[in-house]
Amino acid sequence: MSLATPALAAAHLPGISAHWGLAWTGMATAGVIAAATALVSLVVPQRWRAGVSGAGTACTGLAGAAAGVAAVTGHRGPTLSAAGVLPLSGVSLAVDPLSGWFIAVTGAVAVAAGVYAIGYAGRSASRPSAAVLPLFAASLLAVPAAASAGTLLACWELMALTSLLLVLAEHKRRPEVAEAARWYAVMTHLGLVCVLAGLMLLSAHSHGDGFAALAQAAPHLSPAVKGTVFALVLAGFGSKAGLVPLHAWLPRAHPEAPSHVSALMSAAMVNLGVYGLLRVGFGLLGGGSTWWWLLLIALGAISAVYGILQAAMSTDVKRLLGCSTTENMGLACVGAGAAGLFATTGHPVLAGLALAAALLHIATHAAFKTLLFLAAGSVLHATGTRDLDALGGLRRGMPATTLAFGWGALAASALPPGTAFVSEWLLVQALIHGLRGASTATAITLPLAVSAVALTAGLAVATFVRAFGTGFLAKPRGAAAAAAHESPATMLAGMGLAGAACAVLALVPGAVLPAIGRAVAAAGFAASSSAGGVVTLRLDSLAGEVSPLLLTLALLIVMIAAAAWLRALPARRAARARRAARLWDCGGGPLTPRMEYTATSFAEPLQRVFDDVVAPETDLDITHLDEARYLVASAEYRRKVPDRIERRLYEPVLKAVGAWGNAARRLAPGSVHQYLGYGFYAVTGLLIVLAMTR
Amino acid sequence: MLSLWRMIRATGRIAEPPPSPGAPGAQPVPLTGQAEDAKRALGGSVQIRHVDAGSCNGCEVEIGAAFGPVYDAERYGARLVASPRHADALIVTGVVTRNMAEPLRRTYAAVPAPKLVVAVGDCARNCGVFAGAYGVAGAAGDIVPVDAEVPGCPPRPEAIVAAVRELTGR
Repeated sequence: MSLATPALAAAHLPGISAHWGLAWTGMATAGVIAAATALVSLVVPQRWRAGVSGAGTACTGLAGAAAGVAAVTGHRGPTLSAAGVLPLSGVSLAVDPLSGWFIAVTGAVAVAAGVYAIGYAGRSASRPSAAVLPLFAASLLAVPAAASAGTLLACWELMALTSLLLVLAEHKRRPEVAEAARWYAVMTHLGLVCVLAGLMLLSAHSHGDGFAALAQAAPHLSPAVKGTVFALVLAGFGSKAGLVPLHAWLPRAHPEAPSHVSALMSAAMVNLGVYGLLRVGFGLLGGGSTWWWLLLIALGAISAVYGILQAAMSTDVKRLLGCSTTENMGLACVGAGAAGLFATTGHPVLAGLALAAALLHIATHAAFKTLLFLAAGSVLHATGTRDLDALGGLRRGMPATTLAFGWGALAASALPPGTAFVSEWLLVQALIHGLRGASTATAITLPLAVSAVALTAGLAVATFVRAFGTGFLAKPRGAAAAAAHESPATMLAGMGLAGAACAVLALVPGAVLPAIGRAVAAAGFAASSSAGGVVTLRLDSLAGEVSPLLLTLALLIVMIAAAAWLRALPARRAARARRAARLWDCGGGPLTPRMEYTATSFAEPLQRVFDDVVAPETDLDITHLDEARYLVASAEYRRKVPDRIERRLYEPVLKAVGAWGNAARRLAPGSVHQYLGYGFYAVTGLLIVLAMTR
Repeated sequence: MLSLWRMIRATGRIAEPPPSPGAPGAQPVPLTGQAEDAKRALGGSVQIRHVDAGSCNGCEVEIGAAFGPVYDAERYGARLVASPRHADALIVTGVVTRNMAEPLRRTYAAVPAPKLVVAVGDCARNCGVFAGAYGVAGAAGDIVPVDAEVPGCPPRPEAIVAAVRELTGR
């Protein structure tokens, strides 16, 4: 199971198929467009800035998506190397169908986000954020194309920095942005340090830092070294994918970024964490031990359940979507982990199926998360708030956005005809079929993973019903929600593109399965374990078949029949006339928004069930009258659902680091003599040590 | 759980036998002609919403007793429900106060047709001792059309059961 890392060759060698020419042309075009857009955005006047930047980003994405599609339809690509562009290692780029899949998904997200950004940023686009947006899209496209450790790390860092700048875009308006960006900066760089350490450890045992050299060296490494490398890259890439417990930055940074950036981060950037795991775990290290993949499944399952629980409790709509990203990346990691587990235990067909499920879930998640973030951004644009408890009744003022969010919410729920249904169905099929002839550890892990996926799916339905119902239906809960107006056409177009992608993936997933099969084969697995006609999805050599299109048609027919029957009912009982009656309001005054079920109250039963897990904090302050303790002047009730893992894990660490820093302050009193003394003693001590050891 | 089963077994059946026709306090309540049609349409199963329009709660205690285990009005096909939207009939108790006049009208409007109204107690029938008092909008019949009346202050549970049986016809 070795990676299909391309042999070193130059792009102009004869015998390179048209696919690769197209892929490289696409990538180069994307890079050129992004750089040109960044430069032009810096100089054009403010009223054209958002348009230039958004259109450029969309074109970058389009070129990237074309390159990705070309790469997926090809087999192996040549490596493009350019020494001297970066110090020490130079740049080397290669695309194979696996990276092509990620490039295509990223490009498609960038197209929708770019079109949307034109209207979202409007006339108030600042120069830095307009210039950085296309660069961010380009860096997202470049990461999967990297073919050496140095290039990967450089692109990774470029992606982290550009996204950090974009998160900071609105820092003048809200002080929370700065805090979120600090969290993001620290965590993304700690992640980079982990990846860097892991890849350096691997490079130290090989003749170069190109992926081909690394993959050649890996089989000769001891299991301990390989395990250490995997654990390090798991920490680094896992933090980017938002896996628990390294997810703390995600629900902070994603809500505070502008919405099209949130969409790019949440639908494209986090995927690259999974890509890194696949590339290093399967491609460079070539599979490895069972415990790696059991660990990945466990982390993925915990992330999925914990993420969706946090999402179910959240009243901030963008935070909710951010937590749901943790959930979906957890599911993708369950798929990737299951693929590794099956591969190491000798079930290549199942491994291919699990990886196909993970890759399909990456794409479906990208589609619906883009749509949801763009719709949430449209709400934020119109009302200025992200608090579900202050929204409601948006369907009157913003019918198109309501339709978009509703379609996205349906897509995010793992129910037909939702987009996530197909990929989660594939995942569950792979996990269930893996039970045959499994070892003890596998036999314990897989049923737990299946139940985690099932619980996640159920909670996701509750979460998105709540978000859609309280946010868009019923009566407006505030003046801002009541005065909401529909967003500009470019924003609606961005949402429309993402919605169309959702529809394609939901109804005819068979259309993308051949591409996924090639990507799976590029990762070194049996490819065609899931065969798709356009209508029916069939699992080769396994008992399993589903047709999302027919399911949807059946659902539609049942719904229409039910509606027709209900309409026919009063006609049959024609003797009783219909009469219009007042909405029942218990006989009292008119129904007011204050009587509505809020997002908080919708989540309350769930919160009660998962009380031990989420540990909500309630605070009741009662002020008594001066005259008597028995009379209440006012009562104040507050409820917060803090992130428990964060509280238990991060706060002690932060406190310890703070205490350490304070303690070290005594070493630096500001006296030059003392500092010279430190230098003198350090050199002397070093010399003594050297003298003694040699 | 076991103690509950033991209690059920030890208590046994405590419901009174159905009152014989002609017993005191169990006189059949005459229904209006229109109400007979509604009664026929309901077919022996009547869901009842109770509206306290300004009662002293004496009648409420007796209604509670009538639907309790001893008089067990539910065995005749009647049931108290929590919303007028679910109800076929209203039981109105107490004199209708000014604050409750409009809610009573709306509650009546909320009941799907065919519907019946029973005024239980002297206050609901003709304002009882509160007739002409400040804050009184009138008897139940002044606000909504009443189909049957149960006299008494408060009426005995047998009388309420008799009225319910008149509605269900069982």
